[in-house]
Amino acid sequence: MILHTLNRSPATSRVYQQTLDAMASEDRLLLIEDGVQGALPSLSPLFGELSGRLYVLQEDVISRGLEERCDPSIHVVNVDGFVLLTEEADKIVSWF
Amino acid sequence: MRYALLVQGSPYSNQASHSALRFSHGLIARGHQLATVFFYHDGVYNAARLALPPQDEPHLVDEWRELHVRQSTELLVCIASGLRRGIVDEQEASRHGKTGHSLEAPFELTGLGQLIDAGLTHDRLVTFAP
Amino acid sequence: MNDIAFNRLLVVLRHGPHGSSWLREGLEVALVGAALGQDVSLLFYGEGVTALLKEQQVGPLAQKGTQPMLEMLPMYDIESLWVDAEALATYDLTLDELVVPAKEVGRHEVSDLFQRHRLVLNF
Repeated sequence: MILHTLNRSPATSRVYQQTLDAMASEDRLLLIEDGVQGALPSLSPLFGELSGRLYVLQEDVISRGLEERCDPSIHVVNVDGFVLLTEEADKIVSWF
Repeated sequence: MRYALLVQGSPYSNQASHSALRFSHGLIARGHQLATVFFYHDGVYNAARLALPPQDEPHLVDEWRELHVRQSTELLVCIASGLRRGIVDEQEASRHGKTGHSLEAPFELTGLGQLIDAGLTHDRLVTFAP
Repeated sequence: MNDIAFNRLLVVLRHGPHGSSWLREGLEVALVGAALGQDVSLLFYGEGVTALLKEQQVGPLAQKGTQPMLEMLPMYDIESLWVDAEALATYDLTLDELVVPAKEVGRHEVSDLFQRHRLVLNF
């Protein structure tokens, strides 16, 4: 299982499409930095195929004032959870 | 686990350095070792000796130094990326006839082979990019 | 690790020449990896396929294009070159127009490449 991280908002960049195409059926995706915008209900359907395998980094959500605005079906993890995700993955691939 | 980080973003220009430092503290808190940080692309500016951020902002260069003190983390700066961007240690400066230098210990200039070695020998490699 | 089933290093190139240093710096990683005896694969993904255009020229301040580096790949025994078929279509390119020979990979096969390499570096 690969953990992918994405730091681009799907509203401004198509990198998310490259990311999704590179993901295998067990892989997980963590949205970080500006990528957390992808957790907004208006954008989260773009990641619909990942149900249960999509995560968003809490600190980056909070610092952007988006905490109450995220799609509740997305797993919210803090930095401790980010580290745990890297422990569980065979390798990590970053998209930017 | 032994972790390596690859940092490719310039400090104070984008979030990559902040994210990498936050992740560093997180992995240490979970009992892992941050063995190596490799700075590549614009990440080499993280080693800028003369960085002078305002006092109410985090001092990113000092935060990297602090990790070296705590964990003996190797702070490796790609020599090819660094020299192009004016990030040089005393030895390289004098070799090229320049006065002054912009990089000092615990940061060290090194080749890209060290990045590949870190990626293949550490348990995890995590990239933070602009 | 299971080195028989896994290739060692996959370098993913997602940028074209001149606009940024990502392509050059990604290629440098691949060349150094190969020089160190590692088994290196390259994937030209998305805009990265434009790195393979034969008609590349020097930049505005005479900075070198990446074509000379690409021509060095066979000398470094980097023969596993993959190119994103969908991106070839996007940029109106065909395989026989590329500066070095590469194999097409469909978007559904890209994830296999990622799984099959021990270390993946994305540029």
